[in-house]
Amino acid sequence: MVGVRMTRRRRAIVASISALATAIVASSVVAGQFRSPDPEAFHVGLATGEIARVADIAAGDGLPGRGVFVQATDTGQICLWDAPSASSQQRQGGCNSVDDPLGGSALSASLAYDGGPAVEDVRDARLIGLASRDVATVQVLMSDGTQREMRLRKAMLESDEYRAFGYRFKRSDLRGGVSPIAVIAKAATGDEIARQSTGIGG
Amino acid sequence: MKRLSAALVVVVVALTLAGAALAGATTYAGPWQWSQNQGAGSSFSSSWKYNYFFKNGSGYDATVTFIDNVTYSWHATVRNTSATTYTYWFVSNVKRGHCRANSAYFWGSCVVVN
Repeated sequence: MVGVRMTRRRRAIVASISALATAIVASSVVAGQFRSPDPEAFHVGLATGEIARVADIAAGDGLPGRGVFVQATDTGQICLWDAPSASSQQRQGGCNSVDDPLGGSALSASLAYDGGPAVEDVRDARLIGLASRDVATVQVLMSDGTQREMRLRKAMLESDEYRAFGYRFKRSDLRGGVSPIAVIAKAATGDEIARQSTGIGG
Repeated sequence: MKRLSAALVVVVVALTLAGAALAGATTYAGPWQWSQNQGAGSSFSSSWKYNYFFKNGSGYDATVTFIDNVTYSWHATVRNTSATTYTYWFVSNVKRGHCRANSAYFWGSCVVVN
């Protein structure tokens, strides 16, 4: 009788230890996803961290205004989003390491558009970006050789100062086949300090 | 017996949490080294919501988009040089994720999530 009782107790202890071990392993798997370079796990980290509005995208051509948002995730990412609001899941943009928010450049820009891939079929195209504090102007070079000047706003990421911008391309440009081809950052002296290629359909 | 039941509950909950962390993500291209202008597409589905290009670093120009299966137009397209290029488009239409490298010689993967 005592032996049976001991066996049951032993089984319960073994089961409890197994359960605990499984729980620890499973938890570490979950936690590991937040640090892992596993591409499929990246998405999980985007549900974490703080998000702040740093610039606006003006309403125009019958389309509503949007915002430019910066999100610092708990997984060490700094993401720059073009979105209707801070709480919206409709985020379009990109993420870099928190150690290098601009990705090794003085400028990090992101183009988002709906329609296409032919330029004439694009219904809405927007450009957002972050630049280092020594950038005085950001211009977009268009396919017809003209330029669009971005309005820069001061943005703080933790204790570091940046310049943020958001811009909506005119529908008349798109209908005419005119699209952005490069984003150029210049210092106050007029010297070009960064250039990023962009474009619709590519 | 109660202890055993409690232990089983803990195991089930823990495994469910672990599985949920990765649920719904499908890598449809890579990881491999990309060539300039190389593209790839996922299967067609009405449930895809997110599409992203996960690269081994920043500075590599890439595009992600969704392509519907009726007009084959591009939707919610994003192009940038961030370490991860990311977009969201949720409609009930059948669509596939599409990604494209605009620069060369980098490692990366393309992922869709429902």
